[in-house]
Amino acid sequence: MPVAASAIYFLNLRGDVLINRLYRDDVGGNMVDAFRMHIMQTKELGTCPVRQIGGCSFFYMRISNVYIVIVVSSNANVACAFKFVVEAVALFKSYFGGAFDEDAIRNNFVLIYELLDEIMDFGYPQNLSPEILKLYITQEGVRSPFSSKKPVPNATLQVTGAVGWRREGLAYKKNEVFLDIVESVNLLMSSKGSVLRCDVTGKILMKCFLSGMPDLKLGLNDKIGLEKESQLKNRPTKRYHGKTIELDDVTFHQCVNLTRFNSEKTVSFVPPDGEFELMKYRITEGVNLPFRVLPTIKELGRTRMEVNVKVKSVFGAKMFALGVVIKIPVPKQTAKTSFQVTSGRAKYNASIDCLVWKIRKFPGQTEPTLSAEIELISTIAEKKSWTRPPIQMEFQVPMFTASGLRVRFLKVWEKSGYNTVEWVRYITKAGSYEVRC
Amino acid sequence: MAPPAQSSRYPSPSQPSGKGEVSDLRLQLRQLAGSRAPGVDDSKRELFKKVISYMTIGIDVSSLFGEMVMCSVTPDIVLKKMCYLYVGNYAKVNPDLALLTINFLQRDCKDQDPMIRGLALRSLSSLRVANLVEYLVGPLGSGLKDNNAYVRTVAVMGAVKLYHISASTCIDADFPATLKHLMLNDSDSQVVVNCLFALQEIWNSESSKSEEATREKEGLISKPFIYYLLNRLREFNEWGQCLVLELVAKYVPSDTNENFDIMNLLEDRLQHANGAVVLATIKVFLQLTLSMADVHQEVYERIKAPLLTLVSSGSPEQSYAVLSHLHLLVMRAPYIFASDYKHFYCQYNEPSYVKKLKLEMLTAVANESNTYEIVTELCEYAANVDVPIARESIRAVGKIALQQYDVNAIVDRLLQFLEMEKDYVTAEALVLVKDLLRKYPQWSHDCIAVVGNISSKNVQEPKAKAALIWMLGEYAQDMDDAPYILESLVENWEEDAPEVRLHLLTAIMKCFFRRPPETQKALGIALAAGVADFHQDVHDRALFYYRLLQYDVSSAERVVNPPKQAVSVFADTQSNEIKDRIFDEFNSLSVVYQKPSYMFTDKDHRGPFEFSDEIGNLTVGVESEHEVPATSVDANETSDLLLSTTEKEETRAMVANGSDYTAPLYDSSSRALPSQGQSELAITSLLGTSDPGPQASMAIDDLLMGLDLTAPPAPASAPPSLKLNARAALDAGSFQRKWRELPVAISQECELSSQGAAALTSAQALLQHMQGNSIQCIASGGQSPNFKFFFFAQKAEEPSVFLVECKINTSTAKAQLNIKAEDQSTSHEFSALFQSALSRFGMS
Repeated sequence: MPVAASAIYFLNLRGDVLINRLYRDDVGGNMVDAFRMHIMQTKELGTCPVRQIGGCSFFYMRISNVYIVIVVSSNANVACAFKFVVEAVALFKSYFGGAFDEDAIRNNFVLIYELLDEIMDFGYPQNLSPEILKLYITQEGVRSPFSSKKPVPNATLQVTGAVGWRREGLAYKKNEVFLDIVESVNLLMSSKGSVLRCDVTGKILMKCFLSGMPDLKLGLNDKIGLEKESQLKNRPTKRYHGKTIELDDVTFHQCVNLTRFNSEKTVSFVPPDGEFELMKYRITEGVNLPFRVLPTIKELGRTRMEVNVKVKSVFGAKMFALGVVIKIPVPKQTAKTSFQVTSGRAKYNASIDCLVWKIRKFPGQTEPTLSAEIELISTIAEKKSWTRPPIQMEFQVPMFTASGLRVRFLKVWEKSGYNTVEWVRYITKAGSYEVRC
Repeated sequence: MAPPAQSSRYPSPSQPSGKGEVSDLRLQLRQLAGSRAPGVDDSKRELFKKVISYMTIGIDVSSLFGEMVMCSVTPDIVLKKMCYLYVGNYAKVNPDLALLTINFLQRDCKDQDPMIRGLALRSLSSLRVANLVEYLVGPLGSGLKDNNAYVRTVAVMGAVKLYHISASTCIDADFPATLKHLMLNDSDSQVVVNCLFALQEIWNSESSKSEEATREKEGLISKPFIYYLLNRLREFNEWGQCLVLELVAKYVPSDTNENFDIMNLLEDRLQHANGAVVLATIKVFLQLTLSMADVHQEVYERIKAPLLTLVSSGSPEQSYAVLSHLHLLVMRAPYIFASDYKHFYCQYNEPSYVKKLKLEMLTAVANESNTYEIVTELCEYAANVDVPIARESIRAVGKIALQQYDVNAIVDRLLQFLEMEKDYVTAEALVLVKDLLRKYPQWSHDCIAVVGNISSKNVQEPKAKAALIWMLGEYAQDMDDAPYILESLVENWEEDAPEVRLHLLTAIMKCFFRRPPETQKALGIALAAGVADFHQDVHDRALFYYRLLQYDVSSAERVVNPPKQAVSVFADTQSNEIKDRIFDEFNSLSVVYQKPSYMFTDKDHRGPFEFSDEIGNLTVGVESEHEVPATSVDANETSDLLLSTTEKEETRAMVANGSDYTAPLYDSSSRALPSQGQSELAITSLLGTSDPGPQASMAIDDLLMGLDLTAPPAPASAPPSLKLNARAALDAGSFQRKWRELPVAISQECELSSQGAAALTSAQALLQHMQGNSIQCIASGGQSPNFKFFFFAQKAEEPSVFLVECKINTSTAKAQLNIKAEDQSTSHEFSALFQSALSRFGMS
């Protein structure tokens, strides 16, 4: 049994029940009290997301200011349960238009009850796809029940059709496809400047406004795909001299024809309507780091520190990064700070014990610096030396991919043979970008 | 999509009292019930929302059942849904009223809109009222034949629900056969998946009763059926795929070709975006290749990349679940992730449960080639702000050191930890150095030099202190001041934990054999303190050493300090059998808990903790409340064995004298006396023995002095017991007189156990209990929850009496005591005795 959830609870941070749905009778009604008593009110909270109390297991996740708790009484599938919660939250978000928090739940609790009935029956997950559910559980239906009656029979057929993710008979005046490659770079660098760990997790997001049942084919500059292509065509790669990328692992949206991917190494699919995540990938080799951070921190005696941080942008000079934030840790007992920056603005934020240096627009091939003097309150009790947390960085670099991945082509076929406009964008963001100092 | 404006700011009633609001709602619902005015649905909707929100926060709105049902005659689908929700929630407690809903639900089951048919059928099957099942069979039967797939999916689940309410009705209606037919023939994938869910449940529980069901259950993993599912796999949604894959993992193919066919078919599932599907596929691969060793290895290679992706994508909770599985795999095949160790480096902001598992992974994947990098990284974490993680990482370094042959560099690192001067780092490192020395005694020279520099004052944690003491004892000859450090530790005997005291005794013994003149004084003090110790183990060990020394010093040395062999392998905590069972339950909770499912799903294996709906007040202390009576009973029994029957009266007084937690203390006090006598005997006989060697005899003489000096205070620590006269008598008149005359000696509040409060249904119950403790009642009154009692008791030796006024409130489990005593000096003792007697009420 993947999951036979006995109950699902939504609690706020105080432990008040916002929503509860009991699916099965095999757990008692006081489960939520047990959760409050043994998990929320103890130090255990946050030490482990799976806990057993009595004969029941609790899976819980905190999402903004809400706890979602699933109670099971059997040896359930944990990965499946958590994935279910994640998907359910994504579904709620798409209904509420973004936010998922206590207020959103309180304002929409009737809708959530409706959805909970549809996405899970007797503890077994049913259909969670927002595209389909929105066909028959609509806010519009709430307003005018009679007008919604017409599409309903059609919608229920759709719930389980062969191409579950796409309706037939869609028509757009202008056929457009948007494709975004979004990468996040994770970096862990030692204080000596050597890369301890570095990888890129990327995803390809698409937004399709296409009529009919189009067939799409996407070509990337990944190594395996290119090799396969040249093999199939029995001639050298079509004069593609750029870098080829080795993808460590790829996962696809359910619309992608995986059999074809495995045999021909091309990504071909019939897209869902609107927005969706086409694929995810991971790369560990040959990552281009967009920034280098060179910190020097000197502790001068017990009450003074000198901090110098140089940040070097190593992408093309014509490009620029946006929203760059560099958080430089300082000790808790910091009393006074003074600093100079060659670019952007810096501030001491006592609540997170960091100097926060912000640069709104950061051109490529430049290296601004921050130099700061920090005075500390001298304490006698604090004998321990300061353990330095890493410097953390946030940024976005448009038109840059840390992996070097590029779209070679995106082809759209539809039997009516209309013209489509394709838009491709690239962006690289910081995942966990940490430099020890 | 914002909700309608007027409903969007729906104030959540923070803590409404309930009653007023509910009767308000009832009035409004009644007004709306018959109305056909335009817009009436909107107002109904508002009211229904209010009712549901009350229901959610736990206010009982079941009294509105009738009105809700009356209002539900409406074409509005949203109103219907709210009403169904309400009915489903309260039908079970209102079976009579639930009958009212049958009519309209049955009508809705025949609605022309499939949506409404489905919803009504779901509600009807969710009523969970046993005597209404007859109304359910008809609609379910037609639901299963409905031409709309949505209604069929609902009806299939309805059949399982029916099975749980009344198994016989479900079987008699032949629903399992219908489900099976649907499962094999329905065009809709969700119907097929739901049938599979349903039949698994039904046949699983039926298989214990009928052979046919067992056959059917086995049929689910037969070749034709598995192939049927595999061929339709791509139609199913992700959850359905998980279910099917779980089933395929149980299938045993007839030959290897079949194995490869299935794996080839499923290989693309490893690329699925849903991590649950990927894990389920991995399970299939692992299970299919269990008997093919080399293919099994290839499978590990193949699943590596998808697993690492799962770790780094998704929420921390998902990573946690995946990492648990990685850990299981890496224990079976440590080499698979050896070159990917960097994936397990911790990020600064990760939650500690993820970090902890990553540390375990780093420990497990360490081998000759990557140890240096891993240990370097772990050392970074030792300075972490998050103390538990810092501790874990030091332990991880230690574990790696114990695994590897090339420990040179690691020992240096550990010794650096000792010099970091952080309490917890030092503590963990000491424990590790101890383990390391047990395995690699050749490193003692380097380690001891550093350990010798640590001041024992800076080590507070019992485990670390015990480790330090062990090293002091073991390497006494290499550390110049070992005897003196041990001596100073003995002086603070009382402050240390029993674990430390045990180690201290042994260490001093070892030290004594190597450097007798310097240690004898400390040994004497330690043995004396040990013999008088309240802790059973410490006491026994001290006595054992003492008698051993008395018997023969050289045999004592052979026993306490034999030449040791280095430990080659530390015992594994889990047996291979258990590990294999966990592996069979891959992709389930077993892996996260690291124990097979029978250990946490079977009732017998669970802890003492159980839920009960009636008690409802679950307190953290429940477990300890269960423990206490058990130990005190034990104490009672053992003392009964030790003492003659005439002394029983006293014992009881002493038991009563101890408060909740003095069971061990009491225990030792009853025993200290005879053993003290014995040890004195031993000493005198020791004096008479012939030649224990000049050195040893000197030592033992001194030992004696130590004992003689320290022996007298020991009996004083036994609690002076207040004994009560079991047959005390006092007439009402003199009670009243004394009550008027005497001042209140003690006035305080004390607590009853929750069982006690529950057991106090009438005054009589408590009277008998207190009488058993030699406390008599002269008057009682009141009724639940408030009781009032007047008690009295008399000292065993003299006629001095104690008077008690006791007011008990059972709902708060509190008692207010006013105690008066003729002999004021013993009033506190009596109060303690009384309270412990009271607190034990209801436990026996």
